[in-house]
Amino acid sequence: MAEFGVVTPSVEVAGVKQPTATGKALSVVALRKTYGDVVAVDEASMEIAAGEFVTFLGASGSGKTTTLMMIAGFCEPDSGTITVGDRDVTKLAPQKRNLGFVFQQYLLFPHMTVSENVAFPLTLRGVPKDEIRRRVGETLEIAGLSGFGSRRPRELSGGQQQRVALCRALVYRPPVILMDEPLGALDKKLRDQLQIEIKTIQQELGLTVIYVTHDQEEALVLSDRIAVMRNGLIEQFDTPRELFERPRTPFVADFLGAANFLPGRVLQNTDAHTVVRLDQSGGLLKARRHDLASGTPVKVAVQPGRLRACAPDDGFCTGTVEIATYVGTLVRAGVRIDGGDAPLLRLEVPAGRGPVTGERVGITVDPEDVNLFPTEQGG
Amino acid sequence: MAATLTAHAPARPRKLLASRKTRVGILYALPVVVYLLVLFVYPIFSTLFLSLKNTDGSLTLHWYVDALTGVNLSVLFTTLRISAETALFSLVFGFILANAISRLKPLWAGVAMLIVVVPHFISALVRTYGWIILLGDKGLVNQAMADLWVPGAPYQLLYNEIGVVIGTTSVMLPYTVLLLYGVMRGVDRRLLAAAASMGAGRLTIFRRVYLPLVTPGLASAGLLSFILSLGYYITPALMGGPKQTMIASLINQQVMKQNQWNGAAAEGVILLLLTFAGLLLVKVITSLGASRKKRSAS
Repeated sequence: MAEFGVVTPSVEVAGVKQPTATGKALSVVALRKTYGDVVAVDEASMEIAAGEFVTFLGASGSGKTTTLMMIAGFCEPDSGTITVGDRDVTKLAPQKRNLGFVFQQYLLFPHMTVSENVAFPLTLRGVPKDEIRRRVGETLEIAGLSGFGSRRPRELSGGQQQRVALCRALVYRPPVILMDEPLGALDKKLRDQLQIEIKTIQQELGLTVIYVTHDQEEALVLSDRIAVMRNGLIEQFDTPRELFERPRTPFVADFLGAANFLPGRVLQNTDAHTVVRLDQSGGLLKARRHDLASGTPVKVAVQPGRLRACAPDDGFCTGTVEIATYVGTLVRAGVRIDGGDAPLLRLEVPAGRGPVTGERVGITVDPEDVNLFPTEQGG
Repeated sequence: MAATLTAHAPARPRKLLASRKTRVGILYALPVVVYLLVLFVYPIFSTLFLSLKNTDGSLTLHWYVDALTGVNLSVLFTTLRISAETALFSLVFGFILANAISRLKPLWAGVAMLIVVVPHFISALVRTYGWIILLGDKGLVNQAMADLWVPGAPYQLLYNEIGVVIGTTSVMLPYTVLLLYGVMRGVDRRLLAAAASMGAGRLTIFRRVYLPLVTPGLASAGLLSFILSLGYYITPALMGGPKQTMIASLINQQVMKQNQWNGAAAEGVILLLLTFAGLLLVKVITSLGASRKKRSAS
């Protein structure tokens, strides 16, 4: 594998991402794109290190695909710059950028065999025939497609076609490979399998990948870092762990963690904790220390998996289990909190110790797992 | 009544139904079968028979020998040459036109297609005379060239092969444009974007991705205009000279002027065989291309 370049994965130290800085592969500065009055991408900036797997995550219309298309050169930004390595490619045509691109619809050339498809970018670069044969063979082997070389794309399944497309994008070692929802057209099981394959290949070969998806789980499985996008803005660009445990906006907390939100007001700060009085139950909830003045109205965000059921008087609030569904390893419960008609509080607890419908429970949580977001006055 | 019916039921109703279906089916097909037998199969076989019949009623290949020697043979070659030229030019212009139209927005593409196709609905005779007016010594084309001091103008654009090919090409153009437009619309433009993302320049994309994808359409469009030109009559007769006599004109002369039905029948059979040969040729070429692809890949 050595000939494929130095593997430079990013490492995580105590939940904080530290790229093993072997140089940046790509950087985007203040990228902006509008369609008429609609701002598709608003001043997006980021730096991506070599060997990093970065995902643009967002719903449709969030600007993730537009950003990718601008990096690829299929779409021209209104302003901003795109740099690959040390080369400013902002104004270059797609064919001059030397990037790899994997499309959702595979887009294999139907008139070429699998081998010819994978060899295509190499023939463009004037690679000698023997070397083309060797590299195509090697690449197909990595993707588990040895023996499929003489087949036509239409003779392959969707998963196999996407593997070929992946081979075609990485065979010429572009500094960055862009992938636009490459697994979007496949069924769940195949998607899970290919996610692992893509991740393995990326790590083995030390590829720098920018991946676009709307699937949170997929983003978490694959990425070193995720850029959560909404309405053309990057809400947060961080490691999956950071995004999950330290979301910077309520949107991120909701989008990735499907968090419960409880309105409250900061009561006081101690050295390690911030105490919040909840509006609905009047209960006191201890969160890790936030720099918020007492009296600040806040939204308390806690993920369903971090809440625990306890004896009715031990928690920060009490309620009645209204629904409890067994989903294999977990029990998902909805708890109606006393003193109001807020949405059900969602809990995910290990199966077996799960609460049952109708039970009176208290709810407790580790202060470390609580995130507070100040709410705008009147909002 | 109901009881007796159910008692007899198991096998018979289904069988009855089946045979009834077949009988009805034959009844439905009958008009078409009769139509084809009377108007297609019978004339072809009687033409074939006519071409093999001697004046005294015995069988002979005399008419074929006649058709494939001397002036008749050169007419045959002229027909093939003019048809090939027509196919080539209508293919080239058809490609350029269809390619341009396929890049237009749907509304404008529709308008453009209309402009291409409308001349086809005008009588061939009228169209041909239109060309004659345009291409004559004092016609618009020569006049314009003379005014622009084009050296050598006026050119002889009528009653020679140039005139015939201009005429037949204009007749065949709607066919090639329609056919190629359909094929080009079917090409997934994102494939071209994919090729660009891998570093292919415009020329490479055209040559290695676009062209191979539209080649089947090119082959069928070229073949179609070639075959249609083989039997084309009015335009070559009016816009060509004696040297541009094509096989259809020859048949016409034999029947109308010489009352020579047997010879004309032989020419007709040859025309039919040429058409089949053309079809076979394209089939062979495409299958050869496919097997070559397969071999080079493995």
